[in-house]
Amino acid sequence: MPAEMSFEGMDEISEMLTELAEKAQGVAARGLYEGAGIMRDSLAAEVKTIQTAPFRRAVGYQRLPSPEEKAIVEAGTVGIAKFDKNGSEVGTSVGFSDAGYARAGWKNGAMKPIAQVANAINSGTSFMKKQPFVRRAANSAKARAESAIRQRIESDLEELIKD
Amino acid sequence: MPSEYEALVAALKLTDIPFAEYGWNRKPEGAYGVVTLDMESGGLDGDELKQDRSWEASVDVFFPLISDRADIVATVEEVLTEICGSAWYLNSNQHETNPSLFHMEWVCEVQDKAVS
Repeated sequence: MPAEMSFEGMDEISEMLTELAEKAQGVAARGLYEGAGIMRDSLAAEVKTIQTAPFRRAVGYQRLPSPEEKAIVEAGTVGIAKFDKNGSEVGTSVGFSDAGYARAGWKNGAMKPIAQVANAINSGTSFMKKQPFVRRAANSAKARAESAIRQRIESDLEELIKD
Repeated sequence: MPSEYEALVAALKLTDIPFAEYGWNRKPEGAYGVVTLDMESGGLDGDELKQDRSWEASVDVFFPLISDRADIVATVEEVLTEICGSAWYLNSNQHETNPSLFHMEWVCEVQDKAVS
């Protein structure tokens, strides 16, 4: 003999789940914004730790960036990229892509793209020693950023469920 | 220094690519490499005895001829696999215009443990 089971209140749960699914992208975006802010602040702080040495044209060796080159990177605003939304997925990046240009602080200094100077210091070049400040910033902020994202999403979901 | 990092440096210096740690004071002609111990990675959670710590190291190779790329990649990645297992990745692939040099950068995770 087949067993019969019935549940009540499924319509209400079904509506709640539908509403959650519709608002999931917004919840994810707000959570991600919290984490991206922490990552951005970490990167801006890490820029200040870049080591420098007075400029000397490097012939055959790799030098440290000059204080003027560090100032170019410090002049740039570390930005959060426009959010990329795809269904319930949301993504972004933090960096110098849209930081623009800054004038080099030496005589007849030209306008330099901030992202290019930041990359030269971060990755190193054939004439400049690398200082991976971007990876350092990401590693030091990762746990805090993940925690902030989780906390924001959990709090937003609690509000949604309460309503 | 983490033992795996020391093993990585030793293994890279045995390859055909000249390698230096942290930078060159007199760069060689042709292809050359730089290996650095960058930072503590936090890839493993250290306990109160600070065991099971891990660090990030990076390997950079600069080379003038694109035709050398395949051999360089094979050489470096063989060493990385031998020392770090699967805990490495290619982080960037760049080109400098003056001088004209290709620049590849790998990042790997190294630990302080006995290397067999």
